[in-house]
Amino acid sequence: MGLDFVGQGAAETDGNIITTTIDKVVNWGRKNSLWPMPFGTACCAIEMMATLASKFDLSRFGSEAIRFSPRQSDLLIVSGRISIKMMPVLKRIYDQMPDPKWVISMGACASCGGVFDTYTLIQGVDQFIPVDVYIPGCPPRPEDLIDAVLQVQQKIASGASPKGVEAVYE
Amino acid sequence: MSEENQVEEQPTPLILQKLEANHADALLAHDETRGTVVVVVRKEQAYAVLEYLKTDPELAYAFLVDVTAVDNSQMESELMQFDYARFMVVYQLYSYQGQCRARVKVPVHENDLNIPSVTRLWQGANWLERETYDMFGIHFEGHPDLRRILMPDDFDGHPLRKDYPLRGHGERERFNFDKQNA
Repeated sequence: MGLDFVGQGAAETDGNIITTTIDKVVNWGRKNSLWPMPFGTACCAIEMMATLASKFDLSRFGSEAIRFSPRQSDLLIVSGRISIKMMPVLKRIYDQMPDPKWVISMGACASCGGVFDTYTLIQGVDQFIPVDVYIPGCPPRPEDLIDAVLQVQQKIASGASPKGVEAVYE
Repeated sequence: MSEENQVEEQPTPLILQKLEANHADALLAHDETRGTVVVVVRKEQAYAVLEYLKTDPELAYAFLVDVTAVDNSQMESELMQFDYARFMVVYQLYSYQGQCRARVKVPVHENDLNIPSVTRLWQGANWLERETYDMFGIHFEGHPDLRRILMPDDFDGHPLRKDYPLRGHGERERFNFDKQNA
């Protein structure tokens, strides 16, 4: 953080200018104000709530503004099992989020179906929506989710496109 | 045999006394497990028996706790017992008045999956019967809205039947977003 941006007037600022690019400034802003859309369907959601609450405090990383409307959020956290009846709902919520958007697949069930190798469960949401960061664990601890958010932040800072954008332009 | 070991003669539960007096022809078998009376009832008289259990002022089984079914197709002993009935529809009842439970089981043959709905007796049976229809394919006649409740509407098959494969028939690999969103 700590990126100062002075727009114009080089003569008056006397050496206090930092030159940068628009992309970098925008990415810096984005990475430190991710607004997650929680999609909690199972026990991973309990860990996600713990991550947001005071003990682990995701607001230290600028991501405490949970939006329950996909139209106001840019980070989808899929935490829990997704059944074949729920998948169209998840897909619709993903589609409703404005670009650019990132997806975290939290836990074994969202990433690969986990122990539920059954008739009704999607064996990994990445078959249907693009996933940027996977978290292993059953359920993962809050530290793992924080680590995933930091990895998304690194991705944004590096200027890499979200997986969703890559999928569209490939 | 010492006196301590002698089992005290249990009185016949009220529900069995009354059913034997009023619906003896409907009763196929009865049992008692952990304080719950279990009665097996002919399908033709199932509705009448359940109505009797609910409305009789002495029994007053007013609360329908659950409706579910059991697929006995891999249990030889049960199959032999009730004329090869594959399914057993199970009603769990509770009487606030008597503070006791009762379980009514109804054998249902595979070639005739119809059974009268009890939604007219208990409104709460609506979703329970929908679930039983969804999971086992039991058809509840007279149900106001017999649709699937857990599985998607276009789902094929009834997953809790014993002949349904654990990983399904490939539903999870080939479903159509456009069809589901329509």
